[in-house]
Amino acid sequence: MNKKDRVSSTLELRGVSRNFGPVTALDGLDLVVAPGELVALLGPSGCGKTTALRIVAGLEVATSGELFVNGERYNEVAANARDMGMVFQSYSLFPNLNVSENIEYGLRARKIGSAQRAKRVAEMLELVALESKAKSFPHQLSGGQQQRVALARALAIEPRVLLLDEPLSALDAQVRSQIRDEIRRIQLELGITTLFVTHDQEEALTISDRVGVMSNGRLEQIDIPDVLYNNPVSTFVANFVGTMNHIPTIASGDTVDIFGKKIRVKNSKGVNGSVSALVRPESIEVTRTSGSGNAKIITRSFLGASSQIICQTAEGAVIQALMPSHESGDLHPGEDVTLNVTLNEVLVSHV
Amino acid sequence: MASNLRNSSLQKWSIIIFASLLGFTLFILPVIASSIYSFQKPGGKGYSFISYTWLLHQAGFFPSVGTSLKLAVLAGILNISLMVPTMVYLNFTGQKLKPLVDFICILPLVIPVVSLAIGAQNAMPSFLQNTQYELVFFFVIIGLPFTYRTLDTALQAISLKTLVEASRSLGASWIRTIIRVIVPAIRGGITGALFLTFALSIGEYTITSLLHWETFPTWTVVASQQNILGAIALSVFSFVSAIALLATVALFSKKGARQVGVDQ
Ligand SMILES: Nc1ncnc2c1ncn2[C@@H]1O[C@H](COP(=O)(O)OP(=O)(O)OP(=O)(O)O)[C@@H](O)[C@H]1O
Ligand SMILES: [Mg+2]
Repeated sequence: MNKKDRVSSTLELRGVSRNFGPVTALDGLDLVVAPGELVALLGPSGCGKTTALRIVAGLEVATSGELFVNGERYNEVAANARDMGMVFQSYSLFPNLNVSENIEYGLRARKIGSAQRAKRVAEMLELVALESKAKSFPHQLSGGQQQRVALARALAIEPRVLLLDEPLSALDAQVRSQIRDEIRRIQLELGITTLFVTHDQEEALTISDRVGVMSNGRLEQIDIPDVLYNNPVSTFVANFVGTMNHIPTIASGDTVDIFGKKIRVKNSKGVNGSVSALVRPESIEVTRTSGSGNAKIITRSFLGASSQIICQTAEGAVIQALMPSHESGDLHPGEDVTLNVTLNEVLVSHV
Repeated sequence: MASNLRNSSLQKWSIIIFASLLGFTLFILPVIASSIYSFQKPGGKGYSFISYTWLLHQAGFFPSVGTSLKLAVLAGILNISLMVPTMVYLNFTGQKLKPLVDFICILPLVIPVVSLAIGAQNAMPSFLQNTQYELVFFFVIIGLPFTYRTLDTALQAISLKTLVEASRSLGASWIRTIIRVIVPAIRGGITGALFLTFALSIGEYTITSLLHWETFPTWTVVASQQNILGAIALSVFSFVSAIALLATVALFSKKGARQVGVDQ
């Protein structure tokens, strides 16, 4: 099973909504995932990510809206006829079946012959590097191994779409990043259309082709990670993706004053009065001053190529900056410094 | 600290000794006594198997044992085939119906046996009323309160929803999901429910006698009126076979658990 043998599918959601009584879990979600693309759905708890995924898998019914796979309407297709590979957040391996039998399960349901099953199981075990565990039972595996088997089991059926619902959230940090990279490698290798749900922005940004940020059952913005990070359309997206400073300032007309520099406001036209300007740590420049500057250094943490500098302004706001280590080696706690923003445009939010 | 420890272990030991003594006098002693008694020759001189051979030569011994076993096995199987899908459905969908089913399953404990026997018999189709197989349905009914609880506990101990959804999204039908995933995962609960129904059915006396059928329990009552030593031999026989059955089931469910790879 490699990229050449298979045709990747397109997944499309059109105005999909889902209500649970008075709760609107999804509110007209529109989403197109291109063949072979990995799209991550990112958002705070309760924003409807799992609901969206379950509707695609056929485990939940949409209140309204349509679902298409390769242009074919899928709303009425039963869950067991959808050919979707799903990996769940909680451990979902069948406890009475060993690793091989778990991987084989979907193939048996499809009445595939035993020789072909054995071949596919061997391929899958190799793909997730668990050949040595073929005869182990789920309770004999670590959490990471279990999720790799769950991935192999989902992929064994050559699904049209791979659905991953926070598959790594039960794992510790190191295993998480390792399996995250493994998922991306396998996904690229097989060229499989994938929808990945997470509330970990780092996870979403590192492995996705595109990231969709959700809030209240809708997509707030969907784009490649770079655009999402550098050009968020709203303060919600800006706050959710990456680290953000909230610098208190005064807006007048369509400019704000940040550290004595007038900067154009990108959102909310005609805001006036007290606002927070949203500035990334790497857009703040810290320089030593001979006289009194506009801030004082609290700490400098060396992170390798770059260093994190935490300062406090004369007004009391705590600001985080990120600078190349070789430019910030002479900054010490307690020193007076001058802060500058290296931006032409800025997002603001009301306080 | 040390004296506290000694006190509590002293307490523990006195409870154990007391319980053992109580168990011995109330339970083991009578069993031993009746076992010895059942081997005595009539008249009291010497020991022999005479009471047991008498038992085996009684007309109706083998047929009644056979009937009881057959009906009990059927009742166990019918009960499980009805209750496993029902309980899976109720637990999977988080049905509001569940308390109602719970209530219905408790009823056989609350309704007087006579009303149950007469009432349920009237509800049965007449071709069933005329065969001993009608008892199977009564045995299923009296097993319900126990089966419900046993299966419910077993289903709540596994992550039913995730397992079902995983199985479905892998392309399995509902039937395959139940047989290949759920039944093995709640094997312990099913064995328990099966055994409870079986044991209740084997020992059921009241309904059987009300409806005039002959099973092992009703036959026992009649047979024991003829020969006092024979009656004792009969009770020892019932006791030993019950223990043997229990041990077999325990052994089987352990073995099953080991195959499934569940740590006990
Ligand atoms: N079966 C259900 N019954 C009632 N409400 C539900 C049900 N499933 C989800 N909801 C509600 O729908 C909303 C969206 O839930 P969903 O599980 O999709 O969130 P999520 O984005 O996956 O959150 P998380 O990151 O915590 O997993 C929540 O408010 C939740 O309470
Ligand atoms: Mg979720």
